[in-house]
Amino acid sequence: MMRTNRVSLFLALLALLGVVGLDAVRIQPNRIVAGTGHSLLQALGPGGLIAVCLPLGLIALLALRSTRTGAGIMLALVMALLLALPWGLGAAVGAFIEPGQNAARAAIAGGTWLLGFALMLMLVDLRQRLRMRAGPTGLLWGFGLASLVMSLTSGWLDQLALIREYLGRSESFLDAVIEHLVLVGLAVGASLVIAVALALWMRRMPRVRQGTLGVLSFIQTIPSLALFGLLLAPLAWLAARYPLLSELGIQGIGLAPALLALVGYSLLPMTRNAYIALESVDDAVIESARGMGMGPLQVFFRVRLPLALPLLIEGVRITTVQAIGLAAVAALIGAGGLGTFIFQGLGQAAMNLVMLGALPIVIMAMLVDALLKGLAGALRRGDSDDRA
Amino acid sequence: MIELDGVSKYFGDEAAVDGISLTIPDGSLCVLVGTSGCGKSTTLRMINRLIEHSAGEIRIDGHQIRSFNEETLRRRIGYAIQNTGLFPHWTVARNIGVVPRLLKWEKAIVERRVEELMTLLGLDVDEFAGKYPHQLSGGQAQRVGVARALAADPGILLMDEPFGALDPITRSSLQAELLRIQSHIRKTIVFVTHDMDEALRLADHIVVMRAGRIIQQGAPADILAHPTDDFVETLVGGRDRGLKRAALTRVGDMMDPAGDDAPAAAAVTPDDSMRLAVSLMLWHGVSRLAVVDEAGQRVGTLPLSRLVDQAG
Repeated sequence: MMRTNRVSLFLALLALLGVVGLDAVRIQPNRIVAGTGHSLLQALGPGGLIAVCLPLGLIALLALRSTRTGAGIMLALVMALLLALPWGLGAAVGAFIEPGQNAARAAIAGGTWLLGFALMLMLVDLRQRLRMRAGPTGLLWGFGLASLVMSLTSGWLDQLALIREYLGRSESFLDAVIEHLVLVGLAVGASLVIAVALALWMRRMPRVRQGTLGVLSFIQTIPSLALFGLLLAPLAWLAARYPLLSELGIQGIGLAPALLALVGYSLLPMTRNAYIALESVDDAVIESARGMGMGPLQVFFRVRLPLALPLLIEGVRITTVQAIGLAAVAALIGAGGLGTFIFQGLGQAAMNLVMLGALPIVIMAMLVDALLKGLAGALRRGDSDDRA
Repeated sequence: MIELDGVSKYFGDEAAVDGISLTIPDGSLCVLVGTSGCGKSTTLRMINRLIEHSAGEIRIDGHQIRSFNEETLRRRIGYAIQNTGLFPHWTVARNIGVVPRLLKWEKAIVERRVEELMTLLGLDVDEFAGKYPHQLSGGQAQRVGVARALAADPGILLMDEPFGALDPITRSSLQAELLRIQSHIRKTIVFVTHDMDEALRLADHIVVMRAGRIIQQGAPADILAHPTDDFVETLVGGRDRGLKRAALTRVGDMMDPAGDDAPAAAAVTPDDSMRLAVSLMLWHGVSRLAVVDEAGQRVGTLPLSRLVDQAG
């Protein structure tokens, strides 16, 4: 175990470089102007610089000779830095902007972004090295989220442009998050049902397999913007022709085409995984299940499905993460969701508004990814001792 | 009693099993033996309808197997296969109890039955009941497989090369175990193997198959003594079969109860095989062995001449 942890070493040095060499915050006199950048030294003085660089340097030193205890200390330092990050950011902003200055805003600059990402990646790396189980991992996530929420609600960060954008739209923000989740949930749910049905059909008729996967791969290659556009005309025509459909909310723009497109994109990974999951079950196990006197439904629900479940959930995970990202584009055709902020921000050249849409998408994707990974791992425990 | 009457199985135009007739009496252990692709496995799986026969009749206790519901039939027939087919997501106890649970036995009775079977198969209940199949060795997994097949106390047990994937030592000890268990439970067992030694050791009745047909059947000693053709002769070991026959003969049947003049250095018991006796003679360079009972009391002598005189 006395080997250099190159990943964390690199990340720690990268973070150090960012902290010393890049701007920590960018102060804008008003919403649109680019503003001027300030380094950590300028913002918090030598004390602040040392408070950040000392733990980072320690992490880099510990990474040189990686032991289990060393990795534990590194993890603690990374966690401490991550928890302190939003508070430090608040302090840095406070150094430049008086609470009364309403027009002025502060944006997070490159150095802080780099520090944040490097710390997150180190967390992932160390968690793997320490072979942490789901429980402690969840605890880490909980701490991180709690600290983030606390710092956001404390008012400490109110001068941050991102928060200002949020405060200006706090109600529509919550709506957008819900719209986004509903869109993704409906698309993933529908595609799961369709995919399992398709996979069962493919298993029965091998000839169907090639055709189905071919069509689904083709859909996958259509650029998302184009697919949303392509669905516009036929759905609008349908709605115009059959008033019942438009009463049901099916129109050229809005939820219906967005949902259709998302389901289309979700079907390939979902169907392929569902098919592979169901196929991967050992023939000898199925044969003996039949030999024991299980009927076809019992074989499916008691043996094939439970054994396929971990791989099936893996498919749901990949699809959901993909759909969370794709759903942002759906805002273009009026389906709402967090993409709305991204496109508004792009239109107004307000990068912080873009961030307000993009950051929750990233966080949601990461949460779903971790959650479903944990679930698949827990289900796999039955037939494997590997609890990494 | 299992009866096969002119049974055939066609896959397309090809006959995998071609008009075989066979009667397996209650409580006997019948071994189907032959090279791979000879139709022995197909024959076995037609009995519990995992494969439907194309022609002829299969009867169990006089009833055609098609008169039963498929699942009902299979729950009444134990089934053990080469790669165990244990359910990887279930514990050993749950695996063994699967058929009783399908038959909706009461929970407490299933538990008691599972413990009983684990004890019968030499699996420590406390140690193994909660383990998962991947935590077992090949031999242990196969014991669980056999226990599972016996769980609902079926009258018939079908075994498809159950010991085929095991190392020789484990295989031999499981064969001995099967014989021991069979002497208690007296099931009607149909056992498929490609290993003639295994067939000779286990069988009451051997059925030699080739290209979907039965080419010879009979008691192990008969097959050894009078192979019908060159194929069966090769299968039973050609010029090596003297030793195979010796392996089937008990010392007790050959010894001279009167003699007591053999050196005690190398002794056998009446239940040992003649093959072991010959091996001991060769090893110790003697032509007479003392025969002793389990308590070590001398009960007779085995001279080499007896072996040679009674041969042929």
